[in-house]
Amino acid sequence: MATYLEFIQQNEERDGVRFSWNVWPSSRLEATRMVVPLGCLFTPLKERPDLPPVQYEPVLCTRPTCKAVLNPLCQVDYRAKLWACNFCFQRNQFPPTYAGISEVNQPAELMPQFSTIEYIVQRGPQTPLIFLYVVDTCLEEEDLQALKESLQMSLSLLPPDALVGLITFGRMVQVHELNCDGISKSYVFRGTKDLTAKQIQDMLGLSKPAAPVQQGRPMQPQEQPFLSSRFLQPVHKIDMNLTDLLGELQRDPWPVPQGKRPLRSTGVALSIAVGLLEGTLPNTGARIMLFTGGPPTQGPGMVVGDELKTPIRSWHDIEKDNARFMKKATKHYEGLANRCAANGHCIDIYACALDQTGLLEMKCCSNLTGGQIVIGDSFNTSLFKQTFQRVFSKDLNGEFKMAFGANLEVKTSRELKLSGAIGPCVSLNVKSPCISENELGVGGTCQWKICSLDPTTTLAIYFEVVNQHNAPIPQGGRGAVQFVTQYQHSSTQKRIRVTTIARNWADAQTQLQHIEAAFDQEAAAVLMARLGVYRAETEEGPDVLRWLDRQLIRLCQKFGQYNKDDPTSFRLSDSFSLYPQFMFHLRRSPFLQVFNNSPDESSYYRHHFARQDLTQSLIMIQPILYSYSFYGPPEPVLLDSSSILPDRILLMDTFFQIVIYLGETIAQWRKAGYQDMPEYENFKHLLQAPLDDAQEILTSRFPMPRYINTEHGGSQARFLLSKVNPSQTHNNLYNWGQESGAPILTDDVSLQVFMDHLKKLAVSTAS
Amino acid sequence: MAELYVKPGNQEKGWNDPPQFSYGLQVSGSGKRTLLNKRVPAPLQDPPAVPSGQSLSSSTPPKMPPAGSTSSIGPPPIGQITTPLRTDNSKPSSSQRESEVPVDVKDILAPLHKILQACKDVIKKQVFLDIGRRLATLEEMWSSGKLSSPVQRRMVLLVKELESQHWNSADEIHRSLMVDHVNEVSQWMVGVKRLIAEARNLPHGEASAKDEAATENTDSVQQDT
Repeated sequence: MATYLEFIQQNEERDGVRFSWNVWPSSRLEATRMVVPLGCLFTPLKERPDLPPVQYEPVLCTRPTCKAVLNPLCQVDYRAKLWACNFCFQRNQFPPTYAGISEVNQPAELMPQFSTIEYIVQRGPQTPLIFLYVVDTCLEEEDLQALKESLQMSLSLLPPDALVGLITFGRMVQVHELNCDGISKSYVFRGTKDLTAKQIQDMLGLSKPAAPVQQGRPMQPQEQPFLSSRFLQPVHKIDMNLTDLLGELQRDPWPVPQGKRPLRSTGVALSIAVGLLEGTLPNTGARIMLFTGGPPTQGPGMVVGDELKTPIRSWHDIEKDNARFMKKATKHYEGLANRCAANGHCIDIYACALDQTGLLEMKCCSNLTGGQIVIGDSFNTSLFKQTFQRVFSKDLNGEFKMAFGANLEVKTSRELKLSGAIGPCVSLNVKSPCISENELGVGGTCQWKICSLDPTTTLAIYFEVVNQHNAPIPQGGRGAVQFVTQYQHSSTQKRIRVTTIARNWADAQTQLQHIEAAFDQEAAAVLMARLGVYRAETEEGPDVLRWLDRQLIRLCQKFGQYNKDDPTSFRLSDSFSLYPQFMFHLRRSPFLQVFNNSPDESSYYRHHFARQDLTQSLIMIQPILYSYSFYGPPEPVLLDSSSILPDRILLMDTFFQIVIYLGETIAQWRKAGYQDMPEYENFKHLLQAPLDDAQEILTSRFPMPRYINTEHGGSQARFLLSKVNPSQTHNNLYNWGQESGAPILTDDVSLQVFMDHLKKLAVSTAS
Repeated sequence: MAELYVKPGNQEKGWNDPPQFSYGLQVSGSGKRTLLNKRVPAPLQDPPAVPSGQSLSSSTPPKMPPAGSTSSIGPPPIGQITTPLRTDNSKPSSSQRESEVPVDVKDILAPLHKILQACKDVIKKQVFLDIGRRLATLEEMWSSGKLSSPVQRRMVLLVKELESQHWNSADEIHRSLMVDHVNEVSQWMVGVKRLIAEARNLPHGEASAKDEAATENTDSVQQDT
């Protein structure tokens, strides 16, 4: 039989799902004693090049409260042409088109290998994708030039029939009319006054939609004009004029006095963008892309005043309740984000500046709508340019890797209920019998909306076992979950992806070892981390750390093997072996520690943590460290100061940074130029190997990470030193041997000390 | 077809700015070779009294020349590579030094103008003039030496593909130029882009569309190797 590791990997590849527990405790009481909740990381649009979509509608269970989709777990009576729903046990007739089915002639959705299946359905009109650029003009000349070029470039990457629009802002907000006659016109708004959607639509003359949308047939490019207003035009029509218009963009003409910030009306600009799309094209795939080079400084949504002598809020100010504009600004952007989510549109934020730009207040715009947040130092960096290019990257079939307007519905068998979801989504507030009263994350619903997603977008979904202890599940019984994702594919097709999974139940009192062996510590770590970060965003920081600690101790008490009050006897099985160190690194991570990060940076890190898939999330929690040497192929090593050895090259990936670090000897050899001597060709190759691997990560990651190439004693070595476990510090300097890594100057607790305490607490009879 | 190179990032404007990959590398970069995603569990059972490389002993052969004192560092072990640590297939291509025969701008513009004339009846006058204007910009920039040789080389290719009605590959070259050299080409390339789109819609284009798909598949295969 395959190992659980293989089982877990197969399931992730096929269904995009990773459960914390892969054998489920069969009663509510036992489930709560497992400490880590039953949950999964679900990637709705996991890339499946081997999965051709089928061209028909899914068959639904006829019970109105169920409507589960026919799937391989359903019992089928081929004679009578009946199928029994595996969720509600309703017996359903097959539709007439299925008259020809038999044991040997099954439709795809009944075959076990199609536990995930995608349907292309023709429903309603197809509408082109929409890209609305909202561009800050209060930038340095060099930055603006680079941004203009990137925007011009993007016109070549957009689908030709996509609609594109342009809003620019500084002290005023300009909505540009796009037309082909070479005369540029724009509507100018004051940046200080917020307008309702109705007012915006009236002022732009959009109150009456031009013509009703035609139903039900694929749209020809010639039919588009009815959809586009003067402000949104197909790329293939206005690319030349828009290229010129962008090329002619000037910096905001209003003079900025000495000691002042430019007046930047980001709040009103976004409000107009949301209002414009709300009025003209609700419920179609649309991205509002905000490019900004500084904080909003006037009008609704302002984050800081224009006096340079008053700095933008820091964590310290926030703790002291001294961030004047924060609450009001946050409220403004949350209002916009919720409207935008209701319309099915998303907001991306590209913020390039050396100081903070107000992401803390604006983050909800992206977090609630599935939009991207990217921060950089300048628009004239390869970090921004390439990250922006990758927004338009395509998959193996030449399709854009973006999808819109997804509605994710989760159905569960009756022993399970839904506690909630954490990810770039909003609740659709749809009630169903399978909703738990105990909320984790965004709960109280069985449907969530994800306005924009890509093949890596991942939600954490939490469940509750509700089966009572005295109502045992029959031997061999299985619990099931169905994920139904309806979305607009980048080709504008409506598609439905259905994933149905099942797991065995086990009695935790007699079969604990089965449950234990099927524990997925990686999924569990990420699920707990998402909960922790979610709580850190809503509650006080230290409490979250204490909560995480308590959970870890309880988990070790439950699953460790030990003699009471004897810490040295403590053992954890293989399936739990990495979990404590994940928690150790999570405690130190920028997702829970705000020290040394600005509020904007924390928001940025947390934004990405709440949407990436398991592999990437885990890299964020515990960075990957590989060691390159003459002694063999590159190998993973402990993220520990003992791994920093003179004759090694290290490659560290923290998701946001890629660090290459040459050990002391290697650095000296390089300085001496051995790599240029033919007889030391192997040294040259050793130097090259981590560069090649780093390049591989750099070419595929979104957003583009920072890239740090450093060596022993280099000032940038701090990026490595701050991440490794400080097993050797100046405090235990004399304990360590001659050739054993590098001491870290820190008072932070090391993993060893952490583990000693953990063991002590876990085996203690007192706790 | 597109060039493969890596340029350093803009260290002046962004700290630790990553290197910049050419369009060709970005597009082909999806094939993953090595997944660096393994971890080692920390030794849980025996808290190391001497926390050290000992826990890694399996990976630390003793062959290493003593590397303690900084003054007397021995050389690295001698050797040509026996087992390459990585296969390197994504190196900057050596196509840089292709024969640099100066191209006459007329050879580029003549076919473009020919296509423009062919489209004249199906496009709006405004668009016709607009494309013409951009071709003039191209000519002016080319003759005054404002276009670098990679741009010139790729334009030669683009025109060749256009003439053989390989619209998709012409479009792809246009995209690679926009991504890699936007500052040089942004003003006029959009005219070429429109020309490709219009030419594609011409009736004679339809006839050859099928062969084109076939040839392009082989193209892309060759490109990958």
